[in-house]
Order: sequence, then C-alpha cells, then structure tokens
Amino acid sequence: MRIKSFWAKVVAVTFCFPVAYLLLLSVAGHWIFPHVLPQSLTLHRWTALLTGTNDLFGSLILSLVIALSVATISTFLGFFTSRHIAYHQRRTIWMRLSYFPFVLSPVIYAAIIYYYFIRLGLSGNIFGVVLGQLLIAYPYSVILFSGFWSDRIRNMEQLVQTLGGGRWQTYKRVLLPMAQGLLLVCFFQTFLISWFEYGLTTIIGVGKVQTLTLKVFQYINAANFYHAALSSSLLVLPPIILLYFNKKYLFKKHW
Amino acid sequence: MSLIAQHISKAFKNEQVLDDLSLQLKEHETLSILGRSGCGKTTLLKILAGLETPNEGNVRLKKGQNVYSLPAHKRDIVYLYQEALLFPHLNVFENIAFGLRLKKMDETEIVDRVNATIQRLELEGMQDKMPHKLSGGQKQRVSFGRALITDPSILLLDEPFGNLDADTRDSMQQLFKRIAEEFEITSVFVTHNVKEAILMGDRIAKLKNGQLRIYPTLKAFLDAGENMVQEEIEFWQSISKTKQNNN
Repeated sequence: MRIKSFWAKVVAVTFCFPVAYLLLLSVAGHWIFPHVLPQSLTLHRWTALLTGTNDLFGSLILSLVIALSVATISTFLGFFTSRHIAYHQRRTIWMRLSYFPFVLSPVIYAAIIYYYFIRLGLSGNIFGVVLGQLLIAYPYSVILFSGFWSDRIRNMEQLVQTLGGGRWQTYKRVLLPMAQGLLLVCFFQTFLISWFEYGLTTIIGVGKVQTLTLKVFQYINAANFYHAALSSSLLVLPPIILLYFNKKYLFKKHW
Repeated sequence: MSLIAQHISKAFKNEQVLDDLSLQLKEHETLSILGRSGCGKTTLLKILAGLETPNEGNVRLKKGQNVYSLPAHKRDIVYLYQEALLFPHLNVFENIAFGLRLKKMDETEIVDRVNATIQRLELEGMQDKMPHKLSGGQKQRVSFGRALITDPSILLLDEPFGNLDADTRDSMQQLFKRIAEEFEITSVFVTHNVKEAILMGDRIAKLKNGQLRIYPTLKAFLDAGENMVQEEIEFWQSISKTKQNNN
C-alpha cells in the first residue's frame, strides 16, 4: 500500500509540476539563471488580462467560443450520423471515409481544402476555422460513437416503438441517457481537439483568427517567456476544469 | 377476431422467408408458433408489430382497422424479445412505468398501476434495483410488467424464455399462463420447443417453408405427425425402460 501511495505521489507531482511551474513563471517579475526561484513576483500580467487591457483575454474568449462550438456541433452531429452509418447497408465504406482526415495529417488536409475556403469566403474568419476544425472533430466523433450502436441497441429502439414511443421519445428517454457517458467523453475530446489545434487554424485563419494556442507559439517564437507562461496557463485551465467536473463519467462505468 | 393477417409474403434478396401466409387470432387466446431457427418466425412477428414491411399482404386489427400503414408506435402491439432488454439507466419501477410515461399519464395513476403490477409479478422489494442486479428470471418478469402495464391489444413473444435455465423457464411458463389468464392477454408465442408450444398455446401453428399451418386442436396437432412429439414420447419411454431394467 505504501509503495502504491509513493508512486501515486510521484505521478501526481510529475503531472502537477509543469502546471505549477507555468503559473510561477506567469507571475515572475524577474527570474534569471542561476536563481532557482523568481527574484520578484508581479500580478500585473494577470491584472492586465482580467481588466481586458491585454489582447490575450480576447484570444481566450475566441478559443472558448470556437472550441465549445466545435465540441457541441461535432458531438451531436456525430451521434446521429454514427447511428445512420451503423444501420446503413454500406456501413464499411462510410466508416472508411470517416478515417480519411486522419490518414492525412490535419495540416495537409487543411492545405488541400484551403482553396474551397477561399472560394466560399471562409478564409481568415471564425466561421471558416470552426468549419475547418469540424472536418477533423466530426469524423472523430462518428468513429467514437460507432461502437455504441449494436443489434441490442436496435432491438431496444424497436421495443420502445412497440411500447408507443416515437423517434424523438426514443432519443430522449433511452438513447441519449444510455449514451450520456460517451457523449460527455466525446464532448471533452472534441473540445480538446479544437482547443489545442494549431496547423489547420493557422492555414484557414491566415493569422487573422488568433486563438490562444496560436498566441502561445507567437510568444515562444518571440522569446517572451513570461507571456508564453501566462497564455499557457490559460490554455491548460479549461481542460483541467472540464476534466474535474466530468471525471465520474470519464473514469467510471455506470452500467 | 383480434388480428387478421392475410397473404403475407416477405423475401430477403433471393430468399423467400414468408410465402402467402395468413393467420387469424381470436381475442384472449395465445397462438403458439413452432418453427426451426431461421424459418421466418421473427420476421412474421416483426411484420405484425410494424417493425418490418411485408412485400405483400395486410394486417388488420379488430373492428377491421387496417394497420398496414400505421407505424409501430401507433399499433398498440408490443413485441417482446428473447432478451429482456431492460433499460440499464432506469430502475425496476421506472422500467415498468416506461410505457405509461410515454403516454404522459398522471403520476398518481402511474404509481398505483406500477405498484399493482410489481405485486402481481411477485417483484415486491425490487422497485429501486437497477437491471444489472437482477437475475435472468427477474429481468424477464420486469420485461413482462413493462409490456403488460400498457394494456396492449396484442402481445408478441419471440422465444421469451430461450435464455433462461430449465427451472426458471418452468416457473416463468407457469407465471405467463397465470398472467395471460388474469390480464386476458391476446398473444402470439413463438418458440422452437414443442413442449413449450403445447404448454403456452391455446392453439398451435407450425411455420415451415414460409407457410403457416394452424391446428384447430391439440389432437389435430398430435395426429398430424412431423412435430417431434412422438419421438419425444418414445425417447422418455426408452429412458424409463432402461431405468426399470437397471433396477
């Protein structure tokens, strides 16, 4: 038991250290080698962020809007689409097509389809970035939900029908509650796909859609470590919050 | 008549599963349908329930209502599978109440009717249990309760005891007979077990080569042969003789 507890602590420290280090770096006023700890601390970067004087706040909101939109749309569309594919006669072909965006890398995929985004006027704006990210997150969601549908689920759907339930009631009272855990996992995963997406967003956003991930890279390239740490802290916070609130669905099996 | 199905035909690709099949079901009777695996029993039940579309033929309920164009959820015919298929996110009470909630019935009436059903099915004290904590027989009882509480015109049972062990199967057969009488159920009971077909059915039918032969009486069924009953009798007689010789 003691050995287990020791290794659990080692793992916890290993995971917590980078986050703690980023937070410390984001409040460091002056921190030069070989000092182990910052020589002075300051909250002015965080204050600037919270009062809106720093453009990072705008990027945070923009990233949240994009990630929440992508996660919501891809989760629900993926759920309904995967059902149709699961019961379709040409299920295998549709499932192979779902893997297509992942066979190519998202960056190459974005470069290939970029022409169509320009023609549709979707290049360099938020709608284009959401659509571009959906082209990755939506098939991912379809693949994730494909394991949910089975003959047993289909029999259950038919049973609900003979008990007097229409299509909507079947979803509301049986399918959605049964898939609740998987829906949350999918929402969380697609949120992360969007949240940390860099290559595709850079190409389709052409630098005009400045998400938080793009900001982190810009600060790192400019050797602005303190702002890179601040933006990185913001980048890791929402996934941690989501993970905390959904842990019972993400790590436990209910039935 | 409670249900009349006429000239039902169904083919999957080149395989003719049901061929110009007709049947009539009287009120409050149970018709046992015997047939081997893959002979089209399930297809027939699904057509009656509205879950499968026949290539030809029509299905009428009492008062001559043609239900051919009615979707499954408006037919008032409940189909029970071999597996209990309880909803895993609902407890026993909510599983039984499911059909009533779909009908948006008054809460007080739901509680009264569910409690009465629980009592009749000898499931007292299990209201709050989740399905994964029930035995096979208990699951099947809940499944019956969920179907019966909606008071369907017809109950279609697709080998409902097929997954149960011999003892549970016997007790479920007795329970079904009692409940069928008590609730005045009109039902079609599909099985491949001759003994079960005889026990459960008021009339017996046999599905073979896509065609249904209905026997008016048990004697007519036994006299017709080709039903494995004679073979079964001979088997048990031979066992009995062997036992006597050994003694």
